[in-house]
Parts: sequence; C-alpha cells; structure tokens
Amino acid sequence: MKLTWMALCLTLAASPLMASEAQNQPAMSDMSWKDIQQRARGQTVFFNAWGGSQPINSYLRWVAREVKSRYDITLNHVKVADIAETSQRLLAEKTAGKNTGGSVDMVWINGENFRTMKTNELLDGPFVAQLPNWKLVDKRLPVYEDFTESTDGLEAPWGVGQLVFIHDSQTLSNPPASFAELLSLAKAFPGKVTYPQPPAFHGTSFLKAALIELTNAAPALYEPIDPEKEKAKFDQITAPLWRYLDQLHPVAWQQGKRFPGSATEMMQLLDDRQLLVAITFNPNEAKAAIERGDLPATAKAFAFEQGALSNIHFLAIPWNASAKEAARVVINFLMSPEAQARKSNIQIWGDPAILTPEALGSEEETQGFQLYQAIAEPHPSWQTALEAAWQQRYGH
Amino acid sequence: MLYLLFIASLIICCLPLVPGLVGILLPALSWLPMAGLNEPGFQAFGQAFSWPGIQSSVWLTLFTGVLSTLLALIFTFLILQKSWGSRRWHTVESWLSPILAIPHVAFAIGFAFTFSSTGMIARLITSLGGDPGQFSLLQDPYGLGLTLALAIKETPFLLLMSLSVLQQLNVSRLMAVGSGLGYNHAATWISVILPQWLPRMRLPIFAVLAYGISVVDMAMILGPTRPPTFAVLVWQWFNDPDINLMPRAAVGALLLLLLGLALLALFRVFEWLICRGWQQWQYAGHRQHHLPGRHLHWPLILVPMMVIPVLITWSVALRWRFPDLLPSRFSLQFWQQETAFVAELIATSLLIAAISTLIALILTIGCLEYREKTGIGLPGWLIAMPMVLPQVSLLFGIQVTTYLMPGQHHLLWVVWSHVLFVFPYLYLALDGPWRSFDRRYTQTASSLGLSALEAWWRVKRPMLMPAMCLAIAVGCSVSLAQYLPTLSLGAGRVSSLTTEAVALASGQDRRVSAIYGLLQGLVPFLLFIIAMLASRYYQTKMTAEKTTRNSEPHVLIREKPHYK
Repeated sequence: MKLTWMALCLTLAASPLMASEAQNQPAMSDMSWKDIQQRARGQTVFFNAWGGSQPINSYLRWVAREVKSRYDITLNHVKVADIAETSQRLLAEKTAGKNTGGSVDMVWINGENFRTMKTNELLDGPFVAQLPNWKLVDKRLPVYEDFTESTDGLEAPWGVGQLVFIHDSQTLSNPPASFAELLSLAKAFPGKVTYPQPPAFHGTSFLKAALIELTNAAPALYEPIDPEKEKAKFDQITAPLWRYLDQLHPVAWQQGKRFPGSATEMMQLLDDRQLLVAITFNPNEAKAAIERGDLPATAKAFAFEQGALSNIHFLAIPWNASAKEAARVVINFLMSPEAQARKSNIQIWGDPAILTPEALGSEEETQGFQLYQAIAEPHPSWQTALEAAWQQRYGH
Repeated sequence: MLYLLFIASLIICCLPLVPGLVGILLPALSWLPMAGLNEPGFQAFGQAFSWPGIQSSVWLTLFTGVLSTLLALIFTFLILQKSWGSRRWHTVESWLSPILAIPHVAFAIGFAFTFSSTGMIARLITSLGGDPGQFSLLQDPYGLGLTLALAIKETPFLLLMSLSVLQQLNVSRLMAVGSGLGYNHAATWISVILPQWLPRMRLPIFAVLAYGISVVDMAMILGPTRPPTFAVLVWQWFNDPDINLMPRAAVGALLLLLLGLALLALFRVFEWLICRGWQQWQYAGHRQHHLPGRHLHWPLILVPMMVIPVLITWSVALRWRFPDLLPSRFSLQFWQQETAFVAELIATSLLIAAISTLIALILTIGCLEYREKTGIGLPGWLIAMPMVLPQVSLLFGIQVTTYLMPGQHHLLWVVWSHVLFVFPYLYLALDGPWRSFDRRYTQTASSLGLSALEAWWRVKRPMLMPAMCLAIAVGCSVSLAQYLPTLSLGAGRVSSLTTEAVALASGQDRRVSAIYGLLQGLVPFLLFIIAMLASRYYQTKMTAEKTTRNSEPHVLIREKPHYK
C-alpha cells in the first residue's frame, strides 16, 4: 500500500509540473553576451565546491567581492566535503522532476563526477563557446577532454592538476625518479613511504600513475574497460601493478597495515618526519605550504621521469540551475586573466592557469613557473576498476 | 488539545519515517527510475554481499558498537555505586554537563590530536627520551581507539540519564534495607539496585547502542580504514559518484538498520535474563562483593578535558613540528580569517537549534501528558527509530519527498529534520522525570479549585523545570551536532557550525579543524552552563521555603516526597 502510494507520488512528480515557467524566454544559446550579463544582474549564485582548503576558500571570498562590485551578482560558496554529495542532490532533484529552480547553480568537477553528471543529463549547456574568455584559453592543454570523456562544451576549464611528489631536501637529498626507484627507497628506509588509501582521489591517482609506468602506457588504458566482462584482459594489464604493491606494502609506512586518508595527511606526516615523500595534485603545493607554515623551508616538489599525471579541473552548470545567466558570468570571470593570475599566485592558492602565456602576460602578478611534462589520464572506467580491485586485494 | 499535540507529534516525528523507509526499500530492490533502473530485483543484494571485506566490516561494527556500549554501561554503574550520595558525587555532577556538551566531532578531532602516532602523547614520550614507535590509538585495525572514545563520550550521557532514575528509586532507603539484611554496599548495588536501574535505563541505552553502530563522523576520524566500520562503508557507498551503484548503498542501509534492530532486541533479551528470566543470582545469598570505581570518574573527566588545551594550542600554531611539545611559530591569522564568518554561522546554528528544540519540547510534553491522561504512549521502538536508522538512508527518501513540494523552503526543511532527530532525545530526557512525578501534587491543586491547565502551569511545570532546562540543553546540542540533515535538506544553502567544521576537516588543516572544533564545542558548552544555572535557580526556588538539609548534596531533579 505504502509502496504504491510512494510510486504514485514519484510518477506524479515526474510529470511536467513546473515546466511552465521557462517557456516564454529565448534560449540561452541565442542570447548575446550583453543580454546574459544584463539578466545576470541581481541574481544569486550557489557555487558548490570542495571546502577543505583555506587558501581556496579565501580566494573564492575574493571572487565573491569582485563579482558583487562588477556585475552585481551575489556568489555563495557552498562548501562540500565531497562533490559527490552534490551529484546525489542533483540526482534526487531529477527524481522528483524539479527541472527548474534547483538548489545548485555551479559546480566544480572533473573525471568520474563529470561522467556521472553527463550520462545522467544533469548538466546545462553546451555553453563554453559562448564565453568571451574562452578564446584566451590555452588550447594546447587537454581542455576538450576530461579523463578521455569528451567535454562537449558542458564544462569550462578552471585550472590544471598535476600529480607530483614533495620531499624535504634536508632529509632526502636525492629523490626517486620513478616508481621502481621509489620501491628501492622504501626497502632502504622501511616505514617511510606510502600513498593515500584508494578510493581517495590521490590514492587512485597514485595507482594510475604507477600502472602507466609499469605497463609503458599501454594503449588499453585509454579505452573503456569492463573488469567483469574483460577479466582476463584487466588481470593481464594490471598484474605488474599488484606485483609492485605486494613488494611495497611490507616495507611501507606502518607495514602497509594502514594508509593515510588523504594527501593532506601525508603532508603532515612528511612534516612530522614520518614519511620521506608526500603526494599532491598541485605543482605549486610545496611552495604554497611553506608560505602557510605547513612544511619546512627545505621542502621541494618533484615529478618522476615519465612526467606527471595531468588533468584539468572544470566548472559546470546543472540543468535546473536557478541563476544560469549569473553562473555563466561568474565562470567567465573565473577564466579572466586577472582571476587566473591571482589564482596561480602561490601566496594566494598556486593553482596553475589555463590561459595562454600571451593572455596572462598582461597581468603583473603572474608567477613564472613551468608545468611538468604531462601524462594523460586513463579512461574513467579504469579508475572504478582499479579501486574495486585494490579493495578486493588490500581493502580488508 | 493534548490529542492534537499527540497527533502532531506522530505526523511530524513519525510519518517521515515512511518515505524515509520507502526511500531505502525501493532503491534496495533496484527500482530507481531516474537512474534508468526500472527492473526491480535482488541484484543489489549480491553486489553488497560480494563486497570484499563486508564480513569483517560488519564484525567490526558489532565489536565497536557493543563493546563501547557495554563499557559505558559498566563505567556508569561503577561510578554510580561508588559516588552516588557521597561527597564525590558533587564533583561528578558538576563535570557531567561540560563533558556532555563537547560534540562528538570536536571530541574526535581532539582525541586524534592527542593519541595519534604524532599526537601529544607520542610527543611527550619522545621528549622524555622514549621511543613511541608506532603507538597510535588512531584507526587501529580493531577499532580500539574508536571504542574507547565512544565509551568515554557516552558515559556522561548515561550518568545524566541515571540521575532521575536513581532519584525515583530512593537509593538511601534501599541501602538501609540492604545493610540491615547484612549485604555490603557493593552487594546491595548489584542485587537490589541494578535490576531496578537497568529496565528504567532502557531507552538511553538503546540510544547509545544505536549511535555506536551507526556513527559515521567519529568513525571516519578515529575508526579503522581497512575495512571501515559498516556505517562508514554505507556512507561511502552512498557517495559513490556512479548512480547505478545507489541500490547497493540502499541495501547497505537496510542491513545496517536490521543489524541495529537485532542488537536492540538482543539487549532486551539480555536485560530480561538479568532481571526476570534468571533471577537466581539476586537471592543466592552472596552478601559480600567488592567493586572498583572509586576514582573511575577521573579518567572520564580528564581525557575530554585534556583534548581542549591541545585544540587551543593547535588553533594558534603556525608551525608545530613533531616531536616539539610546543609550536615553534604562533599566529592568530587563522582566528582572524574566520571570525568575520563565524558570527553568522553561530547565529544560524543557534536559531535552528532554538526553534527545533522548542517545537520538539512542546510535542514531547504533549505526548507525555497524553500518556499520563489516557495511557496511550508512543512505543519505545518508534521513538528510537530516528536514532537507530542510519541518517544517510533515511534522508534520501525524505529529500525526494521535499522536492515534491513546490518552492524553496530550505530553512523550514532543515528545522523540521532537526525536530525529527531532537524529539527522541528530549523524550528520553523527560520520560523519567514525568514518570516519577507524583500525581498527587496536581490532584491536590485541582481539588483546591485550579483548572487542569492552571494546575499544570502553576504546580507541575515549576517542579519539572530543572529537568526541562537540562533537556533543552541536550536538545540544542543534538541539533547543533546535526551534519547530514542540515546539508542534504538545506541543499547546502543553510550552513551551520557543524557543516562548516566537517567540510573543513575534509581538508585536514589541523589549525582550522581545531578552531571549528573549539567553536563547535564552545556553543553547546555555554548552553549547558546556562541550563545548569537555570536548573539550579528553579531548584532553589522550589526548595526555598523548605529547610535544606546540608548533609545532602545538591541534586538536580527533585526527589519524590517520602510517604511514611
């Protein structure tokens, strides 16, 4: 009885109850940028983004002040512990047929979360080509693909992530140049090397980077994999990785009985002299952490010889956002030379810019730094498959 | 009027359980139309059971949940039998509330800073020339750190709940009879008071047990990770970005629910055995027992108190490298950064706490009075539901239901969800005092010509005011600690101290975590202080005309009068 009642409610809700509002205005893609800016005035944007980093939160507070004074837009940073919470909420709104007036106007995503939102049609757009600052974007960066998933103009690039390592040059003068050397280091100094426990973002990325080195970047990594249907193939490709980990764990931190929960925890352990090497997705993290007092002044970032696993992180707009115009204006501002230069300043955040050097050059506060040689991210299906296989082998 | 309140309680506090439960059941059967799952079936059960390590995860949950509850229960009993009615009780009682006020998250953060492999204890050992090695009570494979932290955190709650129960039992007379029959102190406590105390503590113990197995935030900070406890595992499943795996999470939530109910049933059997089923031990004639516990309350006071200075030091540390005992560089910048934003957060948190506690209080009183009048009360299992159900699963269904209402009333939904979770605790806190209230007072008042309402307002209310003050403090602190309901029903648009604290703890900047941990603890702490003062005030108001006997310690809840 209750079940039928609930089912009835759900079907009712899915009927176009609220589709009447948005009928009488032109589609966003036909509007000029000027019209969009005009409509955006006075709107409030709820931006759901990871809230675990003070430098990022402070930067977004600055952005909020700027868009208020320039475009009369109120920007609220909704701090989430994991953006998957937001995917969940959007999913629930889709369930109930809430196709307008949603609670989220803008999200900060990439990889697996983007794929989820794209395949479940939770995103608005395509809108990226409409943004005036899109032409300043450095197209040599992989901005058309997000973990091999085509972006289709549904998300705009915001910054660059590179998986690099940090060491304290005082305790470890000669950092390893490959995963093989990392293993030798762990054997020489037992208990001083580890990686975050998958499915933590950095932990899975560590596995992917190791797999790329150990298989010499097998082409299969860039195609979808179904570990159940293609078990033999998956097992064969990943065998070197498990052999590697089986050797690493006994000499790892706490004999591999425990793994740090996150990259931040590894940074603390590096600072506490418990580890020799920490991991981060921000090539400027070492410098920024010294500024913040999180690491000793002798800390340095380094990448392995094969290069650094690289990806772009993006901004997107949910399909049912309440302030779609203002969200576009804010995203465009976040891609402006001024905002990008401020973001890449290591005293502010230190996240690399996605604009061409020419576009950035006009800004005085640009920090000159080199990105490491980039290795592309495998297909997102590998991420899920690796996480499941790691859990199967070492998770308990 | 009372009937209306009773019905309102049912609608507000029990009805949401229906969509909540349906919201678990349907996805568990893989019926999730929006994710394109239209084929109901049992495949999700297979997915859940084939998860590597699910067995050890469930065992871990049982172990930590049951052991921590038993420990808390034993601690409570030992402290009571040694301190109740003695001079020490005053110390225990005055420390109860502040410790109870420290929220779980704040306590877990402080506990981690103190007992981790680079925590305060390890630093002390190192500075004394020792080698802490891998000493760590953090995320140890058996969850001992988590168990201990839970036990320490729950004991004050059980002690507070025991207050009114023991008032009711009139311990001093039981003791007199016991010693007259040649039983020593401990033996009287074991064979006379325990069988009467345990059944009356049923609901609080249920609450502790249910919390112990479904706790997520504390287990994430202190619990093991390979595998995590089952509640954390379910929470991780719910957060899996792959929507097709949603049914697996729903199955997990369902299992956790069944596990919780099974444990409660088991505990009920255990209680029946001790008190009814196998009574022989009560009169087997052992008149001499010895129990420890004279100083047991000290560790329970000191550990929570110890984490506070550690939190304070972290909040002003710029550089604090292991194994230094003190930071090498201090800075107030973190406090300065946050103060501007904190005022608003505190205001929002307090507003929600005040409104939801007030509504829950009115409903609770309505239900209790209705029970008094008609004998129809809410069954214990129904009350315990919101405390036993894993919040994650309950909220998904409720969330979908709220979307069926047009418009955006985020604050309203958040307040309502808080009422849902605060109500059981208030009911628990007031159930005892209401039961032990002597009806003859109101009867006398009525016979002197007061209407029922007047009699309640002028006689019963003032006498129960001390209990109500503390209940309000408990309710507010429960509301202040809500993380998931605030986040999911507020759609992120309602930020409270706790949502902010957890979001920032995910980044694990120890300084910022410390600040929010402190703030999160400070607000309920102040509330409790106010509640204590208010409760004392009403207490003295009540007893002002009486000659007070100095030999007796100050009690919070009025005793029943003696009828000789």
